[in-house]
Amino acid sequence: MDRRDEGPSLSASPATVDLSRDSAADVDLTGKVHQLPCCIKYDGPASISHYFKPKPTGMEVDGLQVEEAYFRGRKLHGTTIALPQGYSGFVLGKKSPNAETNTTDSDCWQTNATFQNVTVWNHDAMPSKDDAFVRAFHWFTAANALHRSVTAEDLESTCID
Amino acid sequence: MESEKPPPPPPKWASKPCIMGIDEAGRGPVLGPMVYGCLYCARSYQKTLSTLNFADSKTLKEEKREELFESLKADESIGWAVDVIDPRELSAKMLKKNKINLNEISHDSAIGLINKVLSIDVLLTEVYLDTVGDAEKYRVKLSERFPNIKFVVAKKADSLYPVVSGASIVAKVTRDRALRDWVLDETAEGLHRNFGSGYPGDPQTKAWLEDHKHPVFGFPTLVRFSWGTCTSYSKDSVQVLWESDETDEDGNGRSKKRQMKLTSVGFTTPKRKSEDDESSGKGRCKFFQARKLELLPHF
Repeated sequence: MDRRDEGPSLSASPATVDLSRDSAADVDLTGKVHQLPCCIKYDGPASISHYFKPKPTGMEVDGLQVEEAYFRGRKLHGTTIALPQGYSGFVLGKKSPNAETNTTDSDCWQTNATFQNVTVWNHDAMPSKDDAFVRAFHWFTAANALHRSVTAEDLESTCID
Repeated sequence: MESEKPPPPPPKWASKPCIMGIDEAGRGPVLGPMVYGCLYCARSYQKTLSTLNFADSKTLKEEKREELFESLKADESIGWAVDVIDPRELSAKMLKKNKINLNEISHDSAIGLINKVLSIDVLLTEVYLDTVGDAEKYRVKLSERFPNIKFVVAKKADSLYPVVSGASIVAKVTRDRALRDWVLDETAEGLHRNFGSGYPGDPQTKAWLEDHKHPVFGFPTLVRFSWGTCTSYSKDSVQVLWESDETDEDGNGRSKKRQMKLTSVGFTTPKRKSEDDESSGKGRCKFFQARKLELLPHF
């Protein structure tokens, strides 16, 4: 559990996020990241692979392979979504305090693990292309279009006489 | 619904008017499957049936039940079938957003067995069952669905009608064997199989539940999470909030508040000022709202 102060000290030291993946501690969590349709009031390790056992159903919805699993008695249907080409998922952690920075409360984050897919679970509903999580990926396309540099041709074609 | 051991092809006597008894085993236990069993025979065999010493399965010793089950399986004048309802299915149905209660699951199972026997061309004319909920309502429900069958729904049917006693043996033996041979889904270390009878009051079952409770996962999936007994073991377990909980206790102010907090589940950050603000994408343009995309300036 993160118990940092929310004071103005935040602005004092700028936050840094280190996305380099060369550290020996970097773990590949591909196939192990799950988005559950519930809020688990717990932050810490759990023996997930011993208790949470997704199984393929053989069903397909909207071209998504449907898996099933049980959590706390509820039946969940889910699907594993690959992150788009060129994108990765990152699990960040506070950089452990060291002598160099001489601070325990800096806003420096490092990459603890990365992943290339996420399994998204629904309770009582099949996964679908209309799920908010699946649709969130639309942003990448929109963002690319928004941030693409404008060429002379683009200007010309949108020019109003 | 999951069934094992399909009944044999219709015997010669199936075209004569037949009677059938239906009974359940494992309705009360907090763990393991619930089993519905049926036993049927020609009406003309009814007299012989009553000489076979079938009694309510609960009054018999386990070895005697096993023995009777083997003898009725070998009897060519008797047909039988079972419906084994997995504890995962029981929990899942009873914890759905639109909850299905145990009586409904029981009715559906009995109806499934009748359909199964009819589908192999057994001429059912009379079916005997124990009460599940209101006896008369149950009888009407069944009669409407199967107008050509006379239904007798009675309390203690398993001790009144030999055909139901036989069905109770089929169900009870199948349930006991299913629990005895149960393969746990979970692979954690230290799990054991001393389930006891599965009844919440059984000291062995209590000890098993105590040994297998898990703060995050609750219990192995052998346990029926929808049973009230489970909550007494969850004192030190982690709280889990579901979107579907919002339909709990309608009209109750407290549950309504809980619903607010659940507008968005999943991504939570400890720095959030109030949980009611969790709905990601709130206050942003429609594109982001529909995708629950939130801008996180700092985290």
